[in-house]
Amino acid sequence: MTQRILYIATLIGLFATFSLNAQETQPNEKNAEKIRGSRFIPYPNYPGSSFLNSKFLLGEIEFTDGSKVSRVGINYGTYRDELIYYNTTISTQIVIDKSSLKGFSFTDKNGDKRIFRRQFFNGYFHDDCFFEVLSDGKISLLAYRKVSLEACDTYNSKSGMAFTPAYSYYLYESGKGYIPVNCSRNSLLSKFSKPNIKLIKKTLRKNGVFISDETSFVNAWNLIAELNVEPVFN
Amino acid sequence: MRKIIIIWLLFAAFGGKAQEKEHLNLFTDRDCYTTGETILFNVIVPEKEHSGILEVILFNTSGKIITKVNKLVTDHHAAGYLYLPDSLKTGTYLIGTTNGVNPNTTVKEIFATNRFTGLSETTAFLKAKEIFPLAKKPINTLQIDGINAVYHVREHVQAQLRLSPELLAQIIGPLFVTVSEVNPGYNSQLFLMNTGNGRNSPEGNDGIILEGMARDLMTGVPLNNGCIILSIPDSIPTLDYFMTGEDGRFRFQIRNHFGKVPVVVQGYDILKKQLIKINLFHSDSLVRATPAFGATQIPAEMQKGIEKGIEATTLSKIFNRQELNIDNPLTNKRQDYPFYGAPTETIHPNLFIDLPNFTEITRELMIGVKFRAYNRIPTLQMMNPVTRNYFNDQPLVTLDGIPVRDLNVIKSMGSKEIRKIDIVRKERYYGDLGFSGVVGIYSVKPDYKGLAESDDLIKLDLETIQPEVSLVAPQSQKSNDPDLRKVLYWAPAIKPGESVNLDFLTSDILGTFKLTLGGKTTDGTIIGFEQTFEVK
Repeated sequence: MTQRILYIATLIGLFATFSLNAQETQPNEKNAEKIRGSRFIPYPNYPGSSFLNSKFLLGEIEFTDGSKVSRVGINYGTYRDELIYYNTTISTQIVIDKSSLKGFSFTDKNGDKRIFRRQFFNGYFHDDCFFEVLSDGKISLLAYRKVSLEACDTYNSKSGMAFTPAYSYYLYESGKGYIPVNCSRNSLLSKFSKPNIKLIKKTLRKNGVFISDETSFVNAWNLIAELNVEPVFN
Repeated sequence: MRKIIIIWLLFAAFGGKAQEKEHLNLFTDRDCYTTGETILFNVIVPEKEHSGILEVILFNTSGKIITKVNKLVTDHHAAGYLYLPDSLKTGTYLIGTTNGVNPNTTVKEIFATNRFTGLSETTAFLKAKEIFPLAKKPINTLQIDGINAVYHVREHVQAQLRLSPELLAQIIGPLFVTVSEVNPGYNSQLFLMNTGNGRNSPEGNDGIILEGMARDLMTGVPLNNGCIILSIPDSIPTLDYFMTGEDGRFRFQIRNHFGKVPVVVQGYDILKKQLIKINLFHSDSLVRATPAFGATQIPAEMQKGIEKGIEATTLSKIFNRQELNIDNPLTNKRQDYPFYGAPTETIHPNLFIDLPNFTEITRELMIGVKFRAYNRIPTLQMMNPVTRNYFNDQPLVTLDGIPVRDLNVIKSMGSKEIRKIDIVRKERYYGDLGFSGVVGIYSVKPDYKGLAESDDLIKLDLETIQPEVSLVAPQSQKSNDPDLRKVLYWAPAIKPGESVNLDFLTSDILGTFKLTLGGKTTDGTIIGFEQTFEVK
């Protein structure tokens, strides 16, 4: 008898838990966060990729007021430096207002989480840009994934134009600004004062880091960041 | 079997105990008021309830709501004011507070005297019967330095409250201190009233909730797939929409708005098959929850205090003295442009020759926008700069930020009525709503008279979050104007420390004043300390 009562009590408890959960207000997808933007105007059709990814990937968008929208299909338009999302309800590609965004993130096909941040760039163009955060810290390593439409050999494109990656990398510290840096050992070393260069060279050598591509460049920067040596901001 | 019953009983007992302390605590500056004055209140929210919005309601003993305000809870604490209108009759009133999460409303009795009729309307005050009174635990380990038994008018008082380390360790959240006049013959009660409105979720309740229902106008059946639009006209207007489900209900949460704001709620059927009627839910009565009351004769001592209070309030009104400073906060909007996007161009018609109507304005000033009013059916078209053709659909037209579906509203508007026109020559999206371009008209007199109330359009002035207030400090000790402050000091949120310094000036009002300190301990107990002094 006692066993039976125990079973019944457990069942009642379980039912109560489920019914309580059911009563919680379910987020109505139709009335979720309202994203503001304009219809996406397709890019000109030339060889090369004008998007960061070949298809829309599920990601998270963070707005300047702190609100977030997750699991939304997004793609970064590298040609016009804009974030495009696919609204499944109205089947439309929409360019989200850049000024309303703080940043966005998604997991790429390799399973790597890519984080982008909107920042004001006061370099040769004064505008808000989406920078990919390659390494975050007091000094961040950022990449500006810009694609340019440039004249090319007619062997590659009949029209003589193609989308060409024109990525640029920056060391950024809030309040100090940006230092442009190339994805190479010499360029990275040149951003430090002479006494620090020796220490950095030694650290890279000890850890067997040879800068040949973006991954090794990021690894090298992460090692330098641990040394607590600061680059020279002009 | 016996063991199980004992365990169940123990759980029930502990559950009951826990619930006792889980209510809002309400404090007011005084217990007796005169109409035309403001009630200063302080609310402490239980630790387990998330910060959000709470409602403070003034209602009568029959349960009829007179006025209410919404306050933003910060650090489990909120402070604000309620205005006592001169239309109130002399008698007992109740102030209640609820946050929509807790099913109980914490209620405090107050006595208000009409400053024109005085005590001629009643000779008794009411006391609630059969209630669960809430009490605060007195602080015994508090030391107070510098408070004398008697003060003169306009005397500078400097005092220090010393809190023992043991007491400090127990206190959680801010403390509040009030020094105000007391009416010795009246003691109000604080009690709980089960209003059963714990419907809001503890999380995400950081805005004013506006709920309602959309129905088919002909059949009265709840409208599925209705689009309900809420607009708050402003220099940067706000817009929100809600797509109704099968139950026809809609719910908006209005954030980042302070004070009284004009709100327009309108709806339409997306499929354009049905005419709709929208209703807003609102309650102006707490009749079912209000307890029974018993009358008590007003003692002579209290009568004397009330008569003195009426005189002071009337004189204070004559001298038009400002009691409170209202700090309107700067709202953090997501972006500094309207919901329809940054305008492609903005036209100021008053800079040009006077144009009599909107057709002329579009012809002369708005390139690529065609407004025609043939056969009394106005139409508006906008050129799409991408396709270099007109958009298939009519652009969104807003008047002071309120979407306008009947273009007859704007057709007679000329240069003299329009301050500016924003044009967005893009296909814009706001959530799932798409607009084939936008024409945003801003009128010289934004009174929205052109928008007539109907079954599918409701206009209202909504009391949103009350801004923070502070007590106005007296001008000068030697001022020739009478100083008729009944509240000498009001600090609703003081950071607890070993000592709390008080610095205030007594007013021209003679009588008994009370210093009250209150706060909350880690176990949820409300603690309080009181000391009275005379001003002669």
